[in-house]
Amino acid sequence: MNWIIAGPEIFYFAAGLFFLLATFVAEPNPAAAARRRVQLTALLIASVGIMVCLVSAGMEGRLFIRAYRVDLFSQVFKTLLSLGLFLIISICGDMIDISERRHHEFYFLLFTCTLALMLLVSADHLLSIYISLEVSSYSLYILVALRKNQSLGLEAGIKYFLVGTFASAVMLFGMALLYSASGTTYLADMAVELPGIINRPGVVIGLLFTLGGFFFKLAVFPFHFWAPDTYQGASNQVAAYIATASKVAAIAVILRVMAFAGQGSVYLVHALVVLSVVSMTLGNLAAIVQKDLKRLLAFSTIAHSGYVLLGILVLSPAGYSGVIFYALALLLMKFTAFMVVVELASDGRNLQIKELAGLHRRSPILALALMVSLFSLAGIPPTIGFAGKFLIFVAAIQKGYMALVIIAMINVVVSLYYYLLVIKAAYLLEPAQPLPPLFVSLPKKLLAGVSTAVIVAAGFFPYWLVQLAQTAARALVWNR
Amino acid sequence: MHIDPAKFPCLSAILVSCAVGMLIIMLIPQERKRLMKQVSVFFSGITLLLTLYVFFAYDKGMGGLQFVENVQWIPSLGINYFNAVDGFSAPNLLLTGIVFFTGVLTMWELETRVKEYFALYFLLVTGVFGLFMSMDLFFIFVWYDVSLFPMYLLIAVWGTTRKEYGAMKLTLYLLAGSALILPAIIFLWAKSGLNTFSFVSLMQPGLFSPGAQKFAFLLLFLGFGILAGVWPLHTWSPVGHVAAPTGVSMVHAGVLMKIGAFGVIRVAIMLCPVGWIYWAQLMAVLAATGIIYGALAGLRQTDLKYVIGYSSVSHMGVVGLGLSTVTVEGLNGAVFQMFAHGVMTALLFSSVGYIYDRTHTKLIPELGGLSRIMPVASAFFIVAAFAGMGVPGLANFWGELLVFIAAFRTYPVLGVIAVLALVVTALFMLRVVQRTFYGPENERYARLPDMSLSLGIPRIILAGVLLILGLYPSFLFDVIRTASVPFMSGLLR
Repeated sequence: MNWIIAGPEIFYFAAGLFFLLATFVAEPNPAAAARRRVQLTALLIASVGIMVCLVSAGMEGRLFIRAYRVDLFSQVFKTLLSLGLFLIISICGDMIDISERRHHEFYFLLFTCTLALMLLVSADHLLSIYISLEVSSYSLYILVALRKNQSLGLEAGIKYFLVGTFASAVMLFGMALLYSASGTTYLADMAVELPGIINRPGVVIGLLFTLGGFFFKLAVFPFHFWAPDTYQGASNQVAAYIATASKVAAIAVILRVMAFAGQGSVYLVHALVVLSVVSMTLGNLAAIVQKDLKRLLAFSTIAHSGYVLLGILVLSPAGYSGVIFYALALLLMKFTAFMVVVELASDGRNLQIKELAGLHRRSPILALALMVSLFSLAGIPPTIGFAGKFLIFVAAIQKGYMALVIIAMINVVVSLYYYLLVIKAAYLLEPAQPLPPLFVSLPKKLLAGVSTAVIVAAGFFPYWLVQLAQTAARALVWNR
Repeated sequence: MHIDPAKFPCLSAILVSCAVGMLIIMLIPQERKRLMKQVSVFFSGITLLLTLYVFFAYDKGMGGLQFVENVQWIPSLGINYFNAVDGFSAPNLLLTGIVFFTGVLTMWELETRVKEYFALYFLLVTGVFGLFMSMDLFFIFVWYDVSLFPMYLLIAVWGTTRKEYGAMKLTLYLLAGSALILPAIIFLWAKSGLNTFSFVSLMQPGLFSPGAQKFAFLLLFLGFGILAGVWPLHTWSPVGHVAAPTGVSMVHAGVLMKIGAFGVIRVAIMLCPVGWIYWAQLMAVLAATGIIYGALAGLRQTDLKYVIGYSSVSHMGVVGLGLSTVTVEGLNGAVFQMFAHGVMTALLFSSVGYIYDRTHTKLIPELGGLSRIMPVASAFFIVAAFAGMGVPGLANFWGELLVFIAAFRTYPVLGVIAVLALVVTALFMLRVVQRTFYGPENERYARLPDMSLSLGIPRIILAGVLLILGLYPSFLFDVIRTASVPFMSGLLR
């Protein structure tokens, strides 16, 4: 066996182990400086991790008796995940919100979760998919519950856990159905078996139920109930992680399974159409009335999962590449929005939209970053969010889903309404009593500036990223 | 990649000078307001010169696409950075240059949040320029949205009457338009099977089936029509005009609404001519209704800016009527009217802006006798109002004349009704002029200063353009004809 191709996984495993061991020797009540040191260590390890992922980007091969596939598609997503982890750690700071003695555990779980997500994007067997999904979920359950504010954190953790286990059960049932129909648990073998029997009720239901487990991760209707409460209850950084890295991996695994299901069946596609439309409409309508910025972002995530599904259900390489591009876009724009939340709520509280008042005066760069990321989430050009939507819509119309695209565009207009309300709060409203300028450290300013610039630049000239997404999509489809 | 190094890329230079201007403004420290304004004037001046150059250097004998810049952007989707000028876009570029420059000068007295204002203003204008010069459907859409979303903040922050409501309504309406345009554009791309968004490749006759053309035309017409203020999708426009600050009202009514009409011509009509002919009667009815509705609604307004807002609906109806005739005269008239209305309405808003800044009211009953208090400022408004009435000697006359000649021939009944509505327009314009500038003076405003020369410059430019085109319309017609005549003759063949 060629272990080198599992380089990123091994690296993140070792990093997780490192933090686990560190919990044994950690002092019980570290000072702020010590906590910063932990963060810097984690940041350093994460940046090395990005390099490891980049180095192993071109590798291909299979491991663990063919249950694990390393290809360009998985490597692209691993790089995205490592980037996501790095970005999230960079906004962790001294994290007043997480109990001081739990910081090592926090990073341990973060790295473990990232490792599990990496395993997930490479998993090529029903069992390996299930295991990696569970490992990542369990890390997240604990991460959510780690918040210092016990009642909020625990409530969110339990809700997340309950919906999560329910979704896992549904997924296991679906997998069993798939196995009974195809007689195999390898995705690669299923790709051979499934196209012939794709219209059997057992297969359609099996596929849908299996996807249900991933839909939970992506917060697709009807597995979305956890999202608003969990975002609200989890600490801001954990919510940011769930909104970015976890979504990226969910997109990857759905792509992998759908690509193996071949051209799909009419019933399956119809079901996905319904889920897509309901997700985007429900998410956008519910977001309108939100007062808490994190809840609003949670509902916008549900809406975005609808757009992602739209790209997946066209079942064409163009759609897949659009979705891959969109995964990157989501990562960047959600991160930028959450970074503003984290910076603004420096004591780790939940941020109300009205607390944004006067932001344009208190910190112009954060206000700009927030505006650009929200416009990007709304899909206004020239931003990366628009480029992603455009690619997905192109793929959908190519396949004749004109009505779906019009529905999606109407949703975009609806979503613009609540994004504009947030932007209005940041640029137009003034706080009741004058607030002092916000102190934002230079690295954070730089981070905000760079991510804003990347969102705009990649929206205006997405050529290389589109190329990358197309190559990855081809790897996904050809390797069937 | 195809750039002739011997040729200076004028069109990109226009975009770059806007973008660079914006970046420099963003880098200037907050306190140095005067410097920001100087920078704004400088860069908008450069842009104006460039547009003037493009307009006059456009070879009318040769016609067709000129100043072509074509760079591959995303080859796998057939997207090109493709800029060019033809007879339809040259006047619009010039119009944008003029309104942009005068809009900056008009806002010289701005004191609140100067930096953000000019940065957003430049961003908006970048989008407008981009749209007028782009020959790639993808970029047309991108520029369309770039020119819209700064509007929200520009109105909501610096506006006046019901500004948040107006800003939100405008933004959502116009982006709802884009919700129709984007699917239609991708639909055309998919139907063509050529894997290109390039306008020139998609313009081959017979490329799209009649059914596809009818479908796409409707979406495009409604989508761009919202921005052009087509009745009954116009309701954002008076509200938005009234709420916006002066400089933005100028760009908004002067140029942004033209984007809508231009989009209808460039994308809907030129790519889907069969759809155009099929839906022409619907267009005519909507346009005529808009003319009448705008005129009647304008008659009842007491807010100066609402009057102009509804007159815009009425005048843009004239543009729509011209387009609906499916004739060369109609097209010429429509494009001419776009230019004339842009300049006229910019002058109107600019004059009202001055009056409002001094008196702090836009309500007609509170004003009165202004022509004795501030004769110069009043004169500009009156000139623009006369242009709006279609008085011969001013630019609008020619646009309306051509449109109505064409309309009489194609739709005799609608044409007569629309001309009658123009009488109403004249009536309400005269009524506004009489009540605002003549009659008894309001004592409160008796001591207000008249317009200084420096503030008069932008208004002089606008009034001058109206007069020049009124006396010498072929200036513009000769350019427009280079696009409309070949297009229509190709259509009839």
